Amino acid sequence: MKQFRSMTYPYVAWISVIIVVPMLLIVLYAFTTSGNDVLTIQFTFDNFVRFVTDSVFMEVLLRSLYIAVITTLICILLGYPIAYVIAQLPDRGNTLAILLITMPTWVNMLVRTYAWMGILQDEGVFNTILGFFGIGPVSMIHTSFAVILGMVYNFLPFMILQIHTSLAKMDKSLLEAASDLGAAPATAFLRVTLPLSLPGVISGITLVFLPAVSSFFIPKLLGGGQYVLVGNIIETQFLTTGDWNFGSAISLIMAIIIMLSMWLTRKADVQVASRGKE
Amino acid sequence: MKKKAGIGSKITLALTLLFFYLPIFYIILFSFNDSRSLTKFGGFSLRWYEKMFSDSTMMEAVFYTVVIAVLATVVSTVVGTVTAIGLSKCKKVLQTMVERVNDLPVMNPDIVTAISLLMFFSILSVRKGFGTLLIAHIMFCIPYVMLSVTPKLRSLDPNLIDAAMDLGATPFQALTKVIVPQIRPGIVSGALIAFTMSFDDFVISYFVTGNGVNNISILVYTMSKRVNPSINALSTIVILLITLVLGIVNLVPILHEKRTGEKKRFTLSRRAITVTAGVLAVAIVGGIAGGSISRQHRRQSAIEKYGSDTLKLYLPGEYIGEDLISNFESQFGVKVIVENFDSNEMMYTKIQAGDSYDVLIPSDYMIERLIAGDYLQKLDRSLVPNLDNLSPAVQNMDYDPDNTWSVPYFWGSVGLVYNHENVDPAAVEAEGWEILRNTDYAGRIYIYDSERDSFMMAFKALGCSMNTDDPAEIDAAYNWLREMNNTMSPVYVTDEVIDAMMAGYKDIAVVYSGDATVILDENEEMSFSMPNEGTNIWCDAMVIPANAENPLLAHEFINYTLTYEASFDNSETVGYASPNAEVLEEMSGSEDLYAENEAYLPRSDGEMDEMFHDNRTLQKELSKLWIKVKAEK
Repeated sequence: MKQFRSMTYPYVAWISVIIVVPMLLIVLYAFTTSGNDVLTIQFTFDNFVRFVTDSVFMEVLLRSLYIAVITTLICILLGYPIAYVIAQLPDRGNTLAILLITMPTWVNMLVRTYAWMGILQDEGVFNTILGFFGIGPVSMIHTSFAVILGMVYNFLPFMILQIHTSLAKMDKSLLEAASDLGAAPATAFLRVTLPLSLPGVISGITLVFLPAVSSFFIPKLLGGGQYVLVGNIIETQFLTTGDWNFGSAISLIMAIIIMLSMWLTRKADVQVASRGKE
Repeated sequence: MKKKAGIGSKITLALTLLFFYLPIFYIILFSFNDSRSLTKFGGFSLRWYEKMFSDSTMMEAVFYTVVIAVLATVVSTVVGTVTAIGLSKCKKVLQTMVERVNDLPVMNPDIVTAISLLMFFSILSVRKGFGTLLIAHIMFCIPYVMLSVTPKLRSLDPNLIDAAMDLGATPFQALTKVIVPQIRPGIVSGALIAFTMSFDDFVISYFVTGNGVNNISILVYTMSKRVNPSINALSTIVILLITLVLGIVNLVPILHEKRTGEKKRFTLSRRAITVTAGVLAVAIVGGIAGGSISRQHRRQSAIEKYGSDTLKLYLPGEYIGEDLISNFESQFGVKVIVENFDSNEMMYTKIQAGDSYDVLIPSDYMIERLIAGDYLQKLDRSLVPNLDNLSPAVQNMDYDPDNTWSVPYFWGSVGLVYNHENVDPAAVEAEGWEILRNTDYAGRIYIYDSERDSFMMAFKALGCSMNTDDPAEIDAAYNWLREMNNTMSPVYVTDEVIDAMMAGYKDIAVVYSGDATVILDENEEMSFSMPNEGTNIWCDAMVIPANAENPLLAHEFINYTLTYEASFDNSETVGYASPNAEVLEEMSGSEDLYAENEAYLPRSDGEMDEMFHDNRTLQKELSKLWIKVKAEK
């Protein structure tokens, strides 16, 4: 199958130029001072020292990871049953349901987040409904609930799509075989369907966790600025403070931490996959 | 063997759709809102649709968004799929390497990818626009496609290809006839995600585009700057268009089936082709419409007079009179390309990267920085006779005392907007900035989320200069803000404060004077106060960059902006104080205009009032302290 390998080379060349080289520029910034002036490059570790020595940045980083993990877990817990139900639909309903779930994501994220701001207000839709039952108003906007809700809303479609993809083309005869061999539906699900759909779950995690860690507008708008996350700090360094060096250093630190966690996730995935084949 | 969907799955589906569509219904409802609020309904109206359709830049943005999204999706789906298949046959090392590199654009905050591409393109000195935008979109879309396709490939039997080729298939046939059909769901969901990412992208697009090529997101972000419900109207139209295309695509086969009685399955690939064709058709129609609008303004005489008929203007979003551009275009027979920035620093980043504009409208301290960095050219005052129209209030500004480099565009202050039904005006007068630490109002305040403005009010409350770099004073201000954060449970906002105060969600907010003018106009319960302890009086001004391509026309534009007609349009639309003496007097004097709006006219006699000076070391320090203030619980 050597013929197929050569299909990879153009892309390897492409990413070397368009992803790796620009990222090296960021690395360069992370290790220099006042890097806006390229002529007077001065190497330094100050940007990293600043991040590590100041407890506030570590706290923010931990909080971001925590919120992203919660978001990812909720997305799996909600996304899996939804994807499962959709996969059981007849063909046309299947396609339609997937399109219906993707469609809202084509409306600009900021516009949708503004809509959530209105819905979650003390006088918003939720509290009006609760009011009919004599409850509330429960303050929802500017809480961690609002931030996580906003993130789940934005990223759940990607989780559903990924899991659905794994489930849709699963060989249904495997399930019949399992039940013929005396497996109860629950057992068949746990021993057959679930392991086979795990690759989809893993790539779903990638698509939810990574953007959730670095998200910026959702914590800003729905969290009311009190939920400072690492994405907000990076954004501020580049856009308000204009301190590119520090901003680059933070994103580099974050990149390394995320790389590590994704490496662990994928390692688990490989183990599960190899166990499934035995 | 398909079973009928059970009641449980029906409920799951219904709830899912409700969750996903609740905000969408909300957006559609508010596109018909008569009031300007994005969160409070004030009656039915079509005014935002009228506004949208009369705006040619919006139609152009829709065109570019769709074309870029379609092209990026097609290219990245093909390349991503082919690469993923090839990669699955490669050594583990190469697989891991490509996966890691692919993670970079997915994982990095958009701003990091955006800045890295901005630097990359400017080092290569590529002309920014459609091409760079498309390259960037393809760049970040391919990893998503590969993420979708790879798991499907992994669950594929590796012997399938061997079997196909043993049976006499060529490698190409094995690929298209065996592998691709097997991984089709992965390809489709990859394409969907790629399309979504491209359609929705703002930050990366903003930094890699130029020369008037905008997408919907860029427009939405600049519009949300000062609350423009046309974004709801625009979104509704987008939803409608998509529904229409999808509806046709899904209905046609059903009707076809009914007529012919055939039960032929409509395959996804054909469906995908139809969708693409439909979307492209819409895009082309939109493009032709957009193109004809932009062409009708071009005139030969302008080229003879100025050397070119195009002016590139770079200013904050929603910061110009409704008709100013179109009037200028028709009066001088030229075309104006408008680009918007979100903050002075965002603008500075692009200027630093070498992007060329003819006129910029930055703030005072940023003008200092631009002058110091040799980014500006001196004005030829003989070409701007209307300088005589300037009000005395905006002459002799610290950053440029004799208008060598700049001409004032708007000026204003920062103050407190409060609800006079709930907060005693006398208390606001007496306490000034300190009212933000009065626990009677805990949980009822909005603070403007910027280290500059927050430290400004702390410094002023403590009686210091806001340009101080005395460590003791900075420390005192830091503690002032900490106490405010820890006792008042404030909500930190930026532009959304306009909408929130129009709706009256909280009682006190720190607001820029022009935004306050808009709030007071919409909500009669709101009042404005400039604290006696002093505040920031600022001025935004027009400057011509050193690398401007059309300085002659730039002077003409600056001169035109100072006319009575243009200044009036500006000030009436935006709500900030005019630099034109006559307009300023009329606006602040006439009861039909802003005479009864205490936010409109900044004071010129506040002894403690100051302007910011550019001090980047101080700003870095304050920025770090500000993060500490907000992160403390």
